This record gives sequence, C-alpha cells and structure tokens, in this order.
Amino acid sequence: MLLHLDGSNQIGASRDRVYALLTDPGFIAKTLPDAEDIRVLDGSTLEAKVKLRVSVVSSTVRMKMTIGKSEPTTKATLTAEGSGSGSALKIASVFELSGDAPTTMSWSADADITGVMAGLGSTLLKGFATKKVAEIFAGITKAVESAA
Amino acid sequence: MEPLFQSSVDEVDRLVGLKKEELSMLEDADAAAGELLVSEFEKYVERKFNPEASEVLKRHDLMGVPIDVKYGGRGARQLAESLFLERMGQTGMGVITFADVHLCLGSLGVQDWGTEEQKGRYLPKAAKGEVVFAYGLTEPEAGSDPSSMKTSYVKDGGGYRLKGSKYLISNGSIATHMLTFARPEAEGKKPTAFIVDTKSDGFSVDMRLEEKIGLFTSDTSMLTLDDVYVPREDVLGEEGKGFSVAYSSLLNGRIGIGSGCLGVMEDCLNQVKERATSRVQHGKQIAKHQLIQKHVAYIESSLEASRWLVYRAAMKKDECDRDRKDLRLRADADRLSAVAKYVSSRSAFESADRAVQCFGGFGYSIMSPVAKHFLDSRVARIYEGTDEIMELKIASSVLGQEFEAYK
Repeated sequence: MLLHLDGSNQIGASRDRVYALLTDPGFIAKTLPDAEDIRVLDGSTLEAKVKLRVSVVSSTVRMKMTIGKSEPTTKATLTAEGSGSGSALKIASVFELSGDAPTTMSWSADADITGVMAGLGSTLLKGFATKKVAEIFAGITKAVESAA
Repeated sequence: MEPLFQSSVDEVDRLVGLKKEELSMLEDADAAAGELLVSEFEKYVERKFNPEASEVLKRHDLMGVPIDVKYGGRGARQLAESLFLERMGQTGMGVITFADVHLCLGSLGVQDWGTEEQKGRYLPKAAKGEVVFAYGLTEPEAGSDPSSMKTSYVKDGGGYRLKGSKYLISNGSIATHMLTFARPEAEGKKPTAFIVDTKSDGFSVDMRLEEKIGLFTSDTSMLTLDDVYVPREDVLGEEGKGFSVAYSSLLNGRIGIGSGCLGVMEDCLNQVKERATSRVQHGKQIAKHQLIQKHVAYIESSLEASRWLVYRAAMKKDECDRDRKDLRLRADADRLSAVAKYVSSRSAFESADRAVQCFGGFGYSIMSPVAKHFLDSRVARIYEGTDEIMELKIASSVLGQEFEAYK
C-alpha cells in the first residue's frame, strides 16, 4: 500500500538553527510522539519502538530512522523502516527549508505499508497518517521554537 | 471529489443540470465526508456514538441541505440531496441515519406540513444545527403497523398532554425536538403529529440502546412521554392527519436511505478494488482470481442498478414537490421511493457481505474498512419500512388498493 503525503509548516527560528536541529538524531528523538526505548546509534541514525494507534487498537513497530544531510541548510532527508505486529512500514521523506526566521519547512513523504495495517485501506490510512503527521510536525515546530 | 461520487455528480449534472448552488453544496459534502472518515472509524471501533458528525455537518453548512433558502437552508432539490447523502453513505450508515432523520424526516416534515409561523420558528435553527430533529413513530408494540400505536393525548387548555413510549428512535437522546405521533384518548380517532421540545417536563430518555449489532456511531434511544405538554402551535398539520404527515416524511426518508446505500456500495467497491489488486495469494493478485471478479461484478452492477432507481425516485419526488396537488404524481413518488429503498438496501447489504468475503479473515474484523458496512447496512432493510412492508407496498401499487395486504 503506497501513500503520499506533503505539506509545509512555518517555524519561528533561523534556517541554520532549524536545519541543525532537524538533522540532529538526538533532537528528533525528543520530538517523536508515542515512542519509547529510543536509542541514538550515531550522528545520523536512531532506533525507537513506535506505538501506532488506530482508535482503541495499538501496535508497536520497531523503527530505524536515518537522517541524510543532502544540501545543508536547504534540504534533508529522513528514511524510516520497521516492522512489528504483523505490519511493515517504509517511509522516505524529504524536507526543504526556505526563508529565514521564520523558516518555511516544506516536506513530502512516501510510505509503503504492508501486512495487517495495509488492510485498513489507503483512504483510512491517509486519514490517520495526515492526523499523525500534523501532530509530529506540530511537535517539531514547538520543540525547535523553544530550543532556538 | 472522491472519484465515484464525482462520476455520479457529473452524470446527474449532464442529464438533469445541477444548479451552481447545488454543485457548491456537493463540494462541501465531499469535504465533510473526508473529514468525518477518521472519527467515524475510531468511534465505530470503540462502539461509541460519534458527536463529530453533527459538528462537521454544521461546519460545512450541511445541516439544512433541503431546507428552503428563505429559511437559511441550501435549498437543494431531492435529487441534489440524494447526491449529498450518497457521498455521506461512503462514510457509513451512522452518518446517514443522523442526517436522514434530521433532514428527510424532521426538517422536510416541518417544511412540507408546517405553518409559515412553524417554518420560521424551526427551520432557520435546524439549518444552523441549533435544532436537531428526531422522529418518534415506532413504539414497543407498534413497528410496521403504526396504527397500533398506544401513545395518546388529551386536550389541556391551549394545548395537549401526551403520554406513551417511543422505541428505537434515532437521534432520540441528542435531538432538541422530535416529530411525534399520538392518538386521542377517545376511541376511533386518528393520530395527530406534534413537534415536541425534548426539554419539556415529562420527556425523558429511558435508555440509550447500545446493544445493537451495528450502527454504533448513531444514537438510538427509548423515550418516555409522561404528560408532556405541547402547545397548540406545535401541532404539525391538521389534527387527525398524523398518518399523512408520517407517511409523507417516510417517503422522503426512504429516498434518503436508498441514497445512503449507494454510498455504502461505492465504498465497498473502492475498498474491494484496492484490496483485490494489492493482496497476493496463490502467487497472484486476488483480483486475478475469477471468483473475486464475480464479487466485483456483483457490487458494480448493483450500484449502477440502484443508482438509477434512487435518482428516478428523487426526480419523481422533485416533480411531486412542484405540483403538490397531483395525487397521481405523489403515488408514483411513493411507489418509486419504496422500490429504490427496497432494492438499494438489499443490494448494499449483499455488496457489503461480498466485500467482507473479498477481504477474507480480516474482513471479519471491525478494523477492516468493510465490516461496518456489513453490520450497518442490515438496518436499512428494517428501518423506515421493512423489506416486507416495501414488498407489500410495491405489490399493491401494481395490483390496486383493494390488494393492500397490510390493511
């Protein structure tokens, strides 16, 4: 099941600062909602158990996330891969920064979901993913602004 | 717009011509249905009533879809209202039940039968969602045969006092007002329709009926009227003409339910197509197995067949609304609404059953996107006229009044 999501957020901080924090696995680890047992493996990789909740049902997926600094201060990538509870998930996302204080962060993500979770169907999954992604970016925006 | 809905809107627009305002309302319906998807699913899995449905409809100005523009509604003809309910049906029969009762039974009941003063008092608030209607016809011992109703009234000064129970009432515990029916205590007199304020002394929600086999996101209640006072200005229609009000509201409601069932079949088709083309068994996509294709063909054919029955009934109702004195037109609309509801509700249930089958074991879980349609569409074959009552109505409309078997 392939899903595509995109959007943009405005962050009240300088672009250099936003880029530095977004590409710091230690910082990203702090902003992940419903994550536990987070381990920063090196300067670009982290692992976490992420709880995926759909209504009253939740499943735990062990995710490995890798941050790529493709074009410093303007573009970065985040790939995530994991499996658990009969489902597997691969996400490839790109972040592009423009402007400066406030910085506009445009992002796009392509997810490939297989197993039990895929059975929910793309319409519902997109609905849930949109809600979840909005929550994640609100968390990142808040954390960057308070850290800046 | 969601593609299957878009194709319905385009086709109806091409054949009949939708007004600019109706097209704009349908855009709003599409956005609202998209917004409702997640909360409907979440509440369904929790088996809880979804309060978001009315909030989302309010936000998109959809609480008064068929209400005349002069009372603050969107002024949609029946055909456009059917398209609106078709889109809502994709989210499930929970939303349809709420909307059908508030709009088709409640608001249209007041619009068709109310005095100018009643319309001015209720419809602008109904269009804003400040008034939410329930429809209280069914009783513990009066289902398919409303003539056996026991709820009674007596005259009291400038009004009436109502006493009795109403059972299996959708929107019962969330409504601000209920269209209800009671017969005078004196023997042999015919029932009257009333608009009852649910905050009146003596009105109570006896129980919320949550032990249903589906329709979890919709409110269903048992209500008690214990000497509830209703002022004379809240009699709907003439005294003794309650059944005329009840049956004409049900005509609207049946087209509404039929329309919702189209949405159910559309969602089943979408979900089955996606599942069958992505799930691999025996080394190939299950869509390549001919027995799965049989289910796909059934759902698609049922959807197309039902669409035209629902649209035809809606168009006949529109014709009837333009000339309310033509009783032949009304009888035609009544017959076609019964045919539309009868065929589309059975087709929706059968389509949902086949969709569950295509999903295999996961289809049996209420986490699958099709299980709710299987559980919920069953009620469409019961409420607002059972399959059997529809069959009797349809048969007698062909054979003649002297063959009305339910009399």
